[in-house]
Amino acid sequence: MQKRLYRSLQALLLLGMCILLASKAASGQLTYYINQRFIPLTIFGIIFLALLAQTMFAEIKRARQNTANDEHHHEHDHAPASANLWFMLVPLLIGVLIPARPLDSSAFATKGFNTNSPLVSADSSAQLFETDSEERNILDWIKLFNFETDLAQFEGQKASVIGFVYFDESLGKNQFFVSRFVVSCCAADGFAIAMVGEWPQASTLKQDSWVLVKGTIKSITINDQTVPLILAESVQAVPAPEQPYLFP
Amino acid sequence: MQKTTSPRPLSRSLILSIVIGILLIVVSSMVPAGVFTWLWDKLNIFATVFLGIFIEAIPYLLLGTLASGLVEVFLDRDQMSKWISHRPVAAAVGGAFMGMIFPVCECGVVPLTRRLFNKGLPLSAGISFLLAAPVLNPIVVLSTAAAFGWGNMLFWRMGVSLVIAIVVGLVFSVERDPSNVLRPVLTLSHEHDHPREAHTSFIEKIRQALLITADEFFEMGRYLILGAMLAAALQTFIAQSSLLSIGSGPVLSVLVMLGLAILLSICSTVDAFVALGFMGTFSFGSVLSFLVFGPMVDIKSIIMYSQVFRRRSVTYLVAIPFMMSLLAGVIFNYLQP
Repeated sequence: MQKRLYRSLQALLLLGMCILLASKAASGQLTYYINQRFIPLTIFGIIFLALLAQTMFAEIKRARQNTANDEHHHEHDHAPASANLWFMLVPLLIGVLIPARPLDSSAFATKGFNTNSPLVSADSSAQLFETDSEERNILDWIKLFNFETDLAQFEGQKASVIGFVYFDESLGKNQFFVSRFVVSCCAADGFAIAMVGEWPQASTLKQDSWVLVKGTIKSITINDQTVPLILAESVQAVPAPEQPYLFP
Repeated sequence: MQKTTSPRPLSRSLILSIVIGILLIVVSSMVPAGVFTWLWDKLNIFATVFLGIFIEAIPYLLLGTLASGLVEVFLDRDQMSKWISHRPVAAAVGGAFMGMIFPVCECGVVPLTRRLFNKGLPLSAGISFLLAAPVLNPIVVLSTAAAFGWGNMLFWRMGVSLVIAIVVGLVFSVERDPSNVLRPVLTLSHEHDHPREAHTSFIEKIRQALLITADEFFEMGRYLILGAMLAAALQTFIAQSSLLSIGSGPVLSVLVMLGLAILLSICSTVDAFVALGFMGTFSFGSVLSFLVFGPMVDIKSIIMYSQVFRRRSVTYLVAIPFMMSLLAGVIFNYLQP
């Protein structure tokens, strides 16, 4: 492949990558893939890709002027393998062609699904006690039930959580899981956690639909594990949250 | 005759493709519809995980290749040989500690190390640097401290990684001829390989550094993409729980964590937060082995290593850290179960 063609393709691919990432960032879809705390790094990446693309375009222009001015310009530069370029096309195509979809219950089989996630965090559960019980998300409840020995204190507390519906054989009648994926770094380390919901009309809910569950906390035992259950007073369909995952 | 026979292959292939098309439609209508949603779901998981790893890694890969470009332009071979000792032990130790100042993770460190080899860095120093930098650099220290606090985990993570990096560096110092270890560099011919004029302007140097950065971004990006695809495919089809259910004994649990480190292929700058999630189910030693081994070896770094090193060297680079991480994990498991 000619050096100039190689440079042009490089410039286009860099620009394409930059635009793909920028559009994901603009549409808020970056959190489908990575923990929000790394978004500033991706923004840096976008700017840097733009800078590199600009350098490439300038280089093409310069090379053209050089060959015009400099007759004995030796064309001995071998362009690197063109396979490098084809590979860079892969993420571009995947990013453009496959519609962005966050992890959902179809990934439970391989990514794991927990009702008592072994999550420990440097910030202990102490501050979770201070948060209003209705402010706690699914992860907070799972953490509390995982840490605390005296679970009776939570019974009867008000809860209000958002998650997607998942039905499983381990559950009783009128019960469903309300679930979220937890992502520490990127989707590669994501795994699902869930609380149990109990609601008379549970059978009307659709698998994977997003719901806001309001009710009171009770603890039940599934597979020898004590897990939080919400006795739902209301289960209401909500649009998928902008950030589909919880970030510990 | 010619005229009548020439269209024939075309029409035959046309008929063939129509038959295949009809067969495909018939077969696909017999396949239960669930298979297609299953496939579509799998494809979506693959895409999300792949882009997750890729988007996460891009800024770090850019930083690493930028460092490599700057080294190429601003660092002289003479300077390099002045700074770095050629005695094996000193070189290995020096290389490992050099990792403390370069903020690169395992994607960025590979192109940078290759560039440093090009500049005459001794083998043992480069290998130690390659293995130590993704753990010992300031970003990783901070993220590990953020996850585990300034305590035992941080201390032992750095200590054990340092020891492994130096030992592997020393193993490689036995080899006198770098060409037995490194693959020949074919693709680094740039305009700037001409003897550089003494008075290149600063702007011009930056321009050259950026050109190298872009070239290397493509070259290393290729292996990052391959690795991310492989990791995403494995994650799409192999259940993590099957790995976790293998065992929880003092040895098996370490093996499980080492396997997970390879499978997950997450960046060393953030793996501490992931490891945190395993603290409940896994012992200190097992999680430590994950934190030590993960930055040195995972699917994408193995593929990137194979771009720079010969196959036998890659085997050493994977096997020795594996053995030593396993050993360290098992020792800790017996000391504090």
